[in-house]
Amino acid sequence: MLGVGALLRPKSIPTRRGTQAYECGEDPIGSAWVKFNIRFYVVAIIFIIFDVEVAAVLPVATQFKEAVLNGGAGLVFAELFLFIALLILGLIYCWVRGDLEWVKGVTLNAPKK
Amino acid sequence: MPANSALFAQSLTQWTQGTWFASVPIWVWALVSALLVIYMLALPFGGIATYVERKIAADIQDRIGPNRVGPLGIFQFAADAIKMISKEDYVPPGGDRFLFNIAPVLVVVGSCAGFVALPLAQYLVAGDINIGVFYIMAITTIIAPGILLGSWASENKWSLLGGLRSAAQIVSYEIPVALSILPVILISGSLQMGEIVKQQGWQSGHFWNVFHNPFTLIAFFILFVGGLAETNRIPFDLPEAESELVSGFNTEFSGMRFGLYALGEFVDVFVMCALVTTLFLGGWQLPFVELDKFMITLPSGLIALIQVGFFLGKTFVMVFVVMWLRWTLPRLRVDQLMGLCWKGMVPIALFNILGTAIWMWAFKGQSMLQVALGLFSGGGSSH
Amino acid sequence: MKWILLVAELLTVGSALIVAINPNILYSAVFLLFSFLGVAVMYLFAGADFLAGVQVVVYVGGVTILILFAIMLTQWLYRLKLKDIGSKFVVPGVVLALGLVPFLHRGLTELGKMVQAAPPEKMAEFAGSPKTALIGKALLTNYLLPFEAITILLLGALVGAVWLARPKA
Repeated sequence: MLGVGALLRPKSIPTRRGTQAYECGEDPIGSAWVKFNIRFYVVAIIFIIFDVEVAAVLPVATQFKEAVLNGGAGLVFAELFLFIALLILGLIYCWVRGDLEWVKGVTLNAPKK
Repeated sequence: MPANSALFAQSLTQWTQGTWFASVPIWVWALVSALLVIYMLALPFGGIATYVERKIAADIQDRIGPNRVGPLGIFQFAADAIKMISKEDYVPPGGDRFLFNIAPVLVVVGSCAGFVALPLAQYLVAGDINIGVFYIMAITTIIAPGILLGSWASENKWSLLGGLRSAAQIVSYEIPVALSILPVILISGSLQMGEIVKQQGWQSGHFWNVFHNPFTLIAFFILFVGGLAETNRIPFDLPEAESELVSGFNTEFSGMRFGLYALGEFVDVFVMCALVTTLFLGGWQLPFVELDKFMITLPSGLIALIQVGFFLGKTFVMVFVVMWLRWTLPRLRVDQLMGLCWKGMVPIALFNILGTAIWMWAFKGQSMLQVALGLFSGGGSSH
Repeated sequence: MKWILLVAELLTVGSALIVAINPNILYSAVFLLFSFLGVAVMYLFAGADFLAGVQVVVYVGGVTILILFAIMLTQWLYRLKLKDIGSKFVVPGVVLALGLVPFLHRGLTELGKMVQAAPPEKMAEFAGSPKTALIGKALLTNYLLPFEAITILLLGALVGAVWLARPKA
């Protein structure tokens, strides 16, 4: 609830408008567009996957301490391990297939599909 | 309601019983306390941090730094703020005015809202939210779209590139940060910030979380480095200050909008350092002191003050290290940066989680110290 | 306290309207962000604090960035002036969307009333305990299979996404 208060905080930018001189900045050569780089998109997708993973592990992690103290920790650990292992597998897959390379062309295995 | 806020609310209602304050609903108090924390703590910190940073930079570079405005140049930040406010309201022609305006707001709201959940002392939390740690993690992700939109609205392809890289960087380093928070959650069993700090007391020989087991030690460093990257600080400030990008995503921002960006960045640095302090360095816990004994003897106001002092002290040490690193380390190239994240920190962080889980399982949740003591004393260590 | 909920609902529905109607696709994406935030606040009012956090982390932090990347990196996408083909549906759409708000409001506040009408010991247990712990317990016992299935789903999504993004040799 308190976060809402922070979110609704009014934006206070008191600016004093001086003479609005027309300013000619550096002249951009060509249009202001960036060539399409898919690596940004790939990074964002991988982020979402791992983020959802963290969000799913969080509630389980809060129960781990109790499980350790009251027994049954092995089971919880096995479940956690399975979850994280599968995602490590996914990361390894991406890594080996060269999807994590930022600069394309330095890929180790050129993907063949 | 979580314990801390309930106590605070109770004491408030008792205190305001006879006055007209009593009729004010509790949510107003909540709002007021949140706003107070933001305006009295976050924003001044942001301002003073600029001054401190320049002084530290000067010291490391063997010069003096700001020393004209006020004694030792202390009021430099006020002078800077006044200068920024009075600057011309410039929006790049062809730029998107609406986005140009809201982008810095998103950044500042995202970082200031994180302040609300920080545990300053045992009973001094503006909002001890049930999902405390997660809330901070969540609310600081609002910064990334802010930077991205601002860079787009600048209608400047270097800004755009800087903003894109910055967003990609922030988003990538969210993962090691989130994964490093997990070992602490495993140990503490709760997402509430107050709870996490309370469990790092000395009463059971379980000291600060960073010394709990070797994996949390590594997680501490990963969280710290990840926090550096999240806030675009050196050695990860490629989107900001690279020579090929002019000033990166905030090239076209001037005056108060730039001020808001810079403020948001410093406040974010503070929130990240405070997060590290809370999760790993014991928050407001005094080292080697059993808090329960002291609670009875000293007046609670004094205790709160001491605890706040310790919390701020530890956080400021971390902030100092952040600033120190800025003038010490070179900048990482963008592919090194991404490689470090996905190929270095994420695997290490994942193994930290598993390692902590194994440790807890094997040693029944005891810290290294407790295990060592247990071995030496031959009996069971207290828990 | 109720008016905050109303504000959040109006924000969500209003932003969603702008997402649908606005010809500028970037503005649509930005208002989608506000819509997500509004949904997160509504989750808070329904008592699902953990879910609100997940909403912000995954949607605001992830999906919004994804959409913004897609828009900003595709030149022709930005120049597209989205002319709504069914422009005659705008007014009924607005009316329908605004008519949704009272239902939402009623639903969420009824949920709150139901919680308060429950027997005191159950309510105390429900209100006091962190929902995250409850979710965690449930995920470990009753819903273990869905929990592990989530990871397989995520793995599939990961592999699929990077496969699609691969340069075709």
